[in-house]
Amino acid sequence: MWILYHVAIAYLILNVTHAEIINKNVERTLDLTSQLAKTTYKISVEDTAGKALKDYVFVVKEPNLSFISVKDGFSNKVKYEEKKGLANDQTEFKLTFASVSPQQNLVIETVSTKNILPHPAEIKQNDKQLVKFVGGLYLYSKYSTNTQKTNVMLSSSNILSHTQAKPYSVSSNKLAFGPYENIAPLSEDELVIHYENQSPFLTVNSLDRSIEVSHWGNIAVKESIEMTHTGAKLKGSFSRYDFQKDGRSGQSAVKSYKTYLPASASGVYYRDTNGNISTSNMHFMRDFVDLELRPRFPLFGGWKTQYTLGYNVPSYEYLFSSGNNYVLKMHLIDHIHDNMSIEKAVVTVILPEGSANIELITPYSIKRHQNDLIYTYLDTVGRPVITFSKQNLVENHISEFTLKYTFSKVSLLQEPLLVIGFIYMIFIFTIVLLRLDFSITYHSHKE
Amino acid sequence: MEHMQRYVSPINPAVFPHLATVLLIIGTFFTAWFFVFVVSRKSTKESTLIKELLISLCASIFLGFGIVFLLLTVGIYV
Repeated sequence: MWILYHVAIAYLILNVTHAEIINKNVERTLDLTSQLAKTTYKISVEDTAGKALKDYVFVVKEPNLSFISVKDGFSNKVKYEEKKGLANDQTEFKLTFASVSPQQNLVIETVSTKNILPHPAEIKQNDKQLVKFVGGLYLYSKYSTNTQKTNVMLSSSNILSHTQAKPYSVSSNKLAFGPYENIAPLSEDELVIHYENQSPFLTVNSLDRSIEVSHWGNIAVKESIEMTHTGAKLKGSFSRYDFQKDGRSGQSAVKSYKTYLPASASGVYYRDTNGNISTSNMHFMRDFVDLELRPRFPLFGGWKTQYTLGYNVPSYEYLFSSGNNYVLKMHLIDHIHDNMSIEKAVVTVILPEGSANIELITPYSIKRHQNDLIYTYLDTVGRPVITFSKQNLVENHISEFTLKYTFSKVSLLQEPLLVIGFIYMIFIFTIVLLRLDFSITYHSHKE
Repeated sequence: MEHMQRYVSPINPAVFPHLATVLLIIGTFFTAWFFVFVVSRKSTKESTLIKELLISLCASIFLGFGIVFLLLTVGIYV
């Protein structure tokens, strides 16, 4: 009996040690051309024991991870469970494969913000903006890795320094590290690149997006934006003369940027607390409206701007109906500028008065706020307001939310009836007033 | 979702300005008629109450819809 037991235990241990998952080949591509660190991982996973792979733990060792997408070799989405709050800015993802095979291919894309930092943190007006990226030289994995390569794309060929881990190669603005062979699990080594990056380092501190639905055929979108240039801060004074005269002056400053609006956008306005900002250009393209926004002043490092952008879109683009049931499908956030990074976005949806049974479906998890009521023109019981927010958003988060609600068509007549009632009251008041006699003396009309 | 149709306004937004103009003109006409009628009333004993109420009702219906379409025209989507 005892022998059997021991044999069973030994078999189990052996089995466990044999069923080892390894990263056979890892190819990483780091795109550091903008203010965002975009990484693409191509991982071939294998089970050495030849057993079917069920799940795989992928660890992201990057602070401020904003977006992740996991796909398998056939570009099907892979389900994952996120485990946050681990030490050292780690985020663990437990992937579950749909197909059963001892070999799996993974394509993982991640985007993180605030990992490319200006170095030096303060520069003069004519200086170039230099930035430093600190990341991992190897894939941080729970499994051992056979071979791995890392390709880095930079914004310029001006590389001041980088980690000298052989073998590596440099060609213009591209760096290639590896192949590195047989890396033990959980091994870490720093990858530091110090290079020139003049791309706009703009951070949207807060985005307040309000979508107002009217059943008279219009959806009004208003975005209040607070923005900061989060690149190297401007040291010393700003010289307008140098800025205008010298083309090389203020290269890291943001003079203008482009916002893409939906193709059907009309009645666009761009204003701030002072009023209309006239320095904007709008071009109608085939699939979108290209809006070139120029802030009132060039944005240097540490400078802020604040504005409101609004437009109308016809309801047939985003609102669907069947009887009294309505479905609103709109972008949760929209494009503000290329490679944008939003710290906090608050989305408010204002539905017409009398909407009920509201149900919200979002493409990713959001923080839902308390439903509210708002009172604007010709309202009696107030319009229902749905508010939700999310932090740390990037361009990859531009996707549609779905809002279902019911609304009776008769409620549409409520507003005209309110005005009609009000005017009729004035007429009745007039009729009554004319029938009253306010004279203090007696007139004997003889007609 | 599949069986749903795109939602269009019961009234084409392109006709909002025309509708507002026409309705407001008719409404103003009824209002003017009402005041002319009321002021030129010979004696207070004449029973014209029903007629006054009817004219003012017409005036308020046209003015009411006119004002709503005026609001929609200028971009206040009620």
